[in-house]
Amino acid sequence: MRNFIISLSAVVFGLIGGAILMAVTGHDPMEGYRFLFQGGLKNISRFGDTLATGTPLIFTGLSVAFAFRTGLFNIGAAGQMLFGGFCASIIGLKLDASGAVLIPLMIIAAILGGAVWAFIPGLLKARFNVHEVVSTIMMNWIAYWTIYYAVPAYLKAESVETESRALPDKATLKAAWLSDMFGGSYVNMGLFLAVIVVIIIAFIINKTTLGYELKAVGFNRHSAEYAGIGVNRSIILSMLISGALAGLAGLAQYAGNGNNIQIGVLATQGYDGIAVALLGANSPIGVLVSALFFGLLYSGRGFMNAMTDIPPEIADSIIAIIIYFAATSVLMNRVITWFLGRRRANAGSAVSGKGKV
Amino acid sequence: MKKTLGTIAMCLLAVTLVAGCGSKNSNNAGNNAGTNAGTNEPAKASFKAGMVTDSGTIDDKSFNQGTWEGLEQATKDLGVESKYLKPSGTTEADYLKEIGNLYDAGYKMIVVPGFKFETAIYAAQDKYKDAKFVLIDGSPHTADDPTAKVGTNTVSIFFAEHQSGFIAGVATALQLKEGEAGFIGGMEIPPVQKYNWGFQQGVKYANENLGTKVTIKPENVVYQGSFDNVAAGGQLAAAMYDRGVKVIFAAAGGVGVGAINEAKTRAGAGKEVWIVGVDGDQFKDGVYKDDKSIILTSAMKKVNAASFDMVKAEQEGKFPGGQTLTFDIKNDGVGIPTTNPNLSDDTVSKVNEIVGKLKSGEIDVKAEKGDLIK
Amino acid sequence: MEFVVEMLNIRKEFPGVVANDDITLQLRKGEIHALLGENGAGKSTLMSILFGMYQPDRGTIKVRGEQVKIANPNVANKLGIGMVHQHFKLVSNFTVTENIILGNELKRGLALNIKGAARRIEELSKRYGLNVDPYAKIEDISVGMQQRVEILKMLYRDAEVLILDEPSAVLTPQEIDELIKIMKGLVAEGKSVIVITHKLKEIKAAADRCTVIRRGKTIGTVDVATTSELQMAEMMVGRSVTFKVEKKPSQPGDVILKLEGLTVNNNKNVPGLKDFNLEVRAGEIVGIAGVEGNGQSELVEAITGLRKSEAGRIILNGQEITSHSIRNRINNGVAHIPEDRQKRGLVLDYTLEENMILQVYKREPFSKRGILNKGAIRKYASGILESFDVRSGRGPVSVSRSLSGGNQQKAIIGREIELDPSLLIAVQPTRGLDVGSIEYIHKRLIGHRDRGKAVLLISLELDEVINVSDRIAVVNNGELIGIVNAAETNENEIGLMMAGVGKGGDQ
Repeated sequence: MRNFIISLSAVVFGLIGGAILMAVTGHDPMEGYRFLFQGGLKNISRFGDTLATGTPLIFTGLSVAFAFRTGLFNIGAAGQMLFGGFCASIIGLKLDASGAVLIPLMIIAAILGGAVWAFIPGLLKARFNVHEVVSTIMMNWIAYWTIYYAVPAYLKAESVETESRALPDKATLKAAWLSDMFGGSYVNMGLFLAVIVVIIIAFIINKTTLGYELKAVGFNRHSAEYAGIGVNRSIILSMLISGALAGLAGLAQYAGNGNNIQIGVLATQGYDGIAVALLGANSPIGVLVSALFFGLLYSGRGFMNAMTDIPPEIADSIIAIIIYFAATSVLMNRVITWFLGRRRANAGSAVSGKGKV
Repeated sequence: MKKTLGTIAMCLLAVTLVAGCGSKNSNNAGNNAGTNAGTNEPAKASFKAGMVTDSGTIDDKSFNQGTWEGLEQATKDLGVESKYLKPSGTTEADYLKEIGNLYDAGYKMIVVPGFKFETAIYAAQDKYKDAKFVLIDGSPHTADDPTAKVGTNTVSIFFAEHQSGFIAGVATALQLKEGEAGFIGGMEIPPVQKYNWGFQQGVKYANENLGTKVTIKPENVVYQGSFDNVAAGGQLAAAMYDRGVKVIFAAAGGVGVGAINEAKTRAGAGKEVWIVGVDGDQFKDGVYKDDKSIILTSAMKKVNAASFDMVKAEQEGKFPGGQTLTFDIKNDGVGIPTTNPNLSDDTVSKVNEIVGKLKSGEIDVKAEKGDLIK
Repeated sequence: MEFVVEMLNIRKEFPGVVANDDITLQLRKGEIHALLGENGAGKSTLMSILFGMYQPDRGTIKVRGEQVKIANPNVANKLGIGMVHQHFKLVSNFTVTENIILGNELKRGLALNIKGAARRIEELSKRYGLNVDPYAKIEDISVGMQQRVEILKMLYRDAEVLILDEPSAVLTPQEIDELIKIMKGLVAEGKSVIVITHKLKEIKAAADRCTVIRRGKTIGTVDVATTSELQMAEMMVGRSVTFKVEKKPSQPGDVILKLEGLTVNNNKNVPGLKDFNLEVRAGEIVGIAGVEGNGQSELVEAITGLRKSEAGRIILNGQEITSHSIRNRINNGVAHIPEDRQKRGLVLDYTLEENMILQVYKREPFSKRGILNKGAIRKYASGILESFDVRSGRGPVSVSRSLSGGNQQKAIIGREIELDPSLLIAVQPTRGLDVGSIEYIHKRLIGHRDRGKAVLLISLELDEVINVSDRIAVVNNGELIGIVNAAETNENEIGLMMAGVGKGGDQ
């Protein structure tokens, strides 16, 4: 209940903040928001695009949230995503097989790629106590430059210098029937994969001994050690799972929403995953919903730009404000605590006042 | 579970908000929707031209800025409504989404800068048959098939960057007479490579025919690999200047900005260093004291002219749909700025001679590497 | 008689709990006033209200006769009220002076006037006999000294009323004597002191008056001089208590734990435990006596597997476990009540029931093929909580952090005893607990012994070691000085051995 109020008020405050910015820059907030939400929800095709935009965010949000729950701050989702997507792309481009074979192999490749990329910071943390914030950021750039070299060298498209060849349709998560159902939207099977993964992760966290161990290490590694839980093993395992989730984000992004991998770009979904996780209170279902909310914002923003005279930079700031408030839900927590405390104090003094009379 | 409920409720709220606003304002929907509304009579104002930016910002001193300046010019001179949108990512889907947004908002003329839009425009020209597309620096095709398919509602525009680089190279050599020159590129892609090759040919031409002694060493020709890493640009430029390079041709967007900043610092400390700007006239960006600038000259391609011309053509009903246009020295689509405070009159007059020879075809600049550096 | 602080009819409610219910406390000028109560009786809440960290729901606070509203600790400071918390709030790599002036910096222009501050601190230190070096770094000085720094901090800010929260919990017996002297020095200089404690001995030694609270209510205020320890204990617990530990003579059986030449490095990577030999038999409690930091931690951590041993062998039930994993040792019958219940003993953010299965979650019926069985866990946890009388807001689903220290400790002890280990290692099991809880825990340890199990008791409280143990091993500087029978020894003999003097007859 409390988390619900926190997330809700974070969003409300964010919307108010954005509205103030619009008003200050001389735009009508109501109109702005109307087009923002219409842009994401107006018709079935736009709704599909919103779902698609949210899909990689579900994975990265889940990746960050899972790490958070186990006491780790994985901000390398962007790199893990890139490398996972890259591994999946290699399979998709180099292997000649039917879709029924390719897709599962690509899913495995994405999982392995992301996991490998997170394994290194996990190992460094477990063995040498290198802080994962530092090492995951470094890994982002290693991924960036690895892909920068490897894509032109091995997967280069015939005619585009900075992108890999396009994946054949059978090697993407696109599904014609789904796209048609949503009026030509680029929503794809990644969404269903994401929902399945959300359920699996929720199950692991809440119902299994593995989740129990990982959370214990996250909360207090000293008592986990005391209880005989392998702390180093748990840290590495957490990073592996977190990385695997980010790797799946790569699959959803580069072989679902897109159909090739570009060099020189670290996907923004990696960092947005942090905000998604915070707004979703680090719970898998919360992440699912908050990722879709972010998808709505990103998806509707362009339409707001097109329909109003709010310039894109202001639109970016509005989105950033909403995200900022969402991500600082800790602050909301304080505000709410303060508010409840005050109310109780007032009630208390009222009672004692009556007593005197 | 409660968290879940929370987030769901949150989204419900968002939806309610939309519905609420929708019913309130639906009557005057289209009315407020314009930007840059022209000052001319309202009849012309119904013509809307939009742009989707590439990954950089609108003030990138390069493609985005040039294209947008052309549209602003069109707003001012032709009363066209113009607007640009920024995609949230760099995938084809991101680009298509913004193109769709512009289309839905009534922008039936859409200009996009940069080769990254090639595949998106390939899809868009068929999807939005009644819209006109201008693709600058690229031609629509699929990722796997380089064969261009310029739809009847699309114009694909290229520039002869090598000619621009050549002229800048000649001007540089003439002005400095001797010393070392360097090159910093962004990504190693054709437009940037052509600048590089042209520049080298220009320097070589001046050395062979005009008695200058400007050298370019292989280690001083680098591609940084991105268009946005300002810090790396500064470092690369610093390293080159330390190696004794006097002038750097920076064809690298934000990376070039880093190089310019480094040069400004050094010039401020009394060193003689120069930058040759790119795409637009970068003289103002290089000002470090009073009106002194470290921009020797700029190798320009007039993107703004291209976008303006296309809007104008469409308004006049002469949109050259289906064509691939090349802006080169013959139609003044490339070259160096008309005023160059850092070039001597002598240099300028000699350069103008060379420009004449280029126009007449007496000098031929190759658009390929040949035996040049990188 | 003039009261410097009066808290009248204070009530404070937290969700689900009434922490303070109509409590009245009146502090005279120049007295040491003890606030006595069991864990969770509401002492800390009351003092937090006085220090401005909570607002009372009802009641009035008067300082020097005037009614005040203490909205936050800064207001309390301005009113001359200072508090020394149980957990010190010091920056460990700052010097004493830097810590004291933190937030209250004396400035000369823009620069800090450290020297001036240090001089003043030195003066205060001399005047109150605190003996603190203003330039020492916090990380280099003892816990007792750190506490004095906290006191100095209050004096530096001109506090007239000092609240000390469980000040003796972290001190050695000698340091406690010092502290009592310091408190007496403070009141002699006109300050007034409130000391929160549940150690009756210290109240008797230091305090002038004592206010006893129980379950959030004032039971009464008594003159310490005319009230016996037993009377105060009964007021606190609400029933009659005995200080004597009732137990039958031990009947030692087979050797459960055997240590042979055990050498263990400490945190500085030099031997903290040297060539240590010990046997613990079934049906006996072996106590380890020694001043803190003389190898006790190394001993315990080596047996439980938290620290690796450099040389020697650890044999449990005839099987060598020297290099076994922690979990393996637990499964073979080693249970451990850790010294620091918050650092090791509990995952504070887990619920009680989750904490109750910390070692056994992998066993059936708590999980099957990696999937937890919440029903079985709930049942098991409820059983422990009930039989060990762990009081919490919401039973098994209470977050462990929300429990009082005593109840946390009872939960840990319950969990470990419920494992029915052949060797139970209890480290400072009653630290910081009240008389009632101590009595109860001692009973449980002895009960475990009486079921034919071995117990290794490590405690810094000599009373406890002598009263509960059957045999006592005394350590000094990582070495075993000697082993004595508890029934045949006294504090004097053990005290000497703790100081490193061998047992009279052995040398």
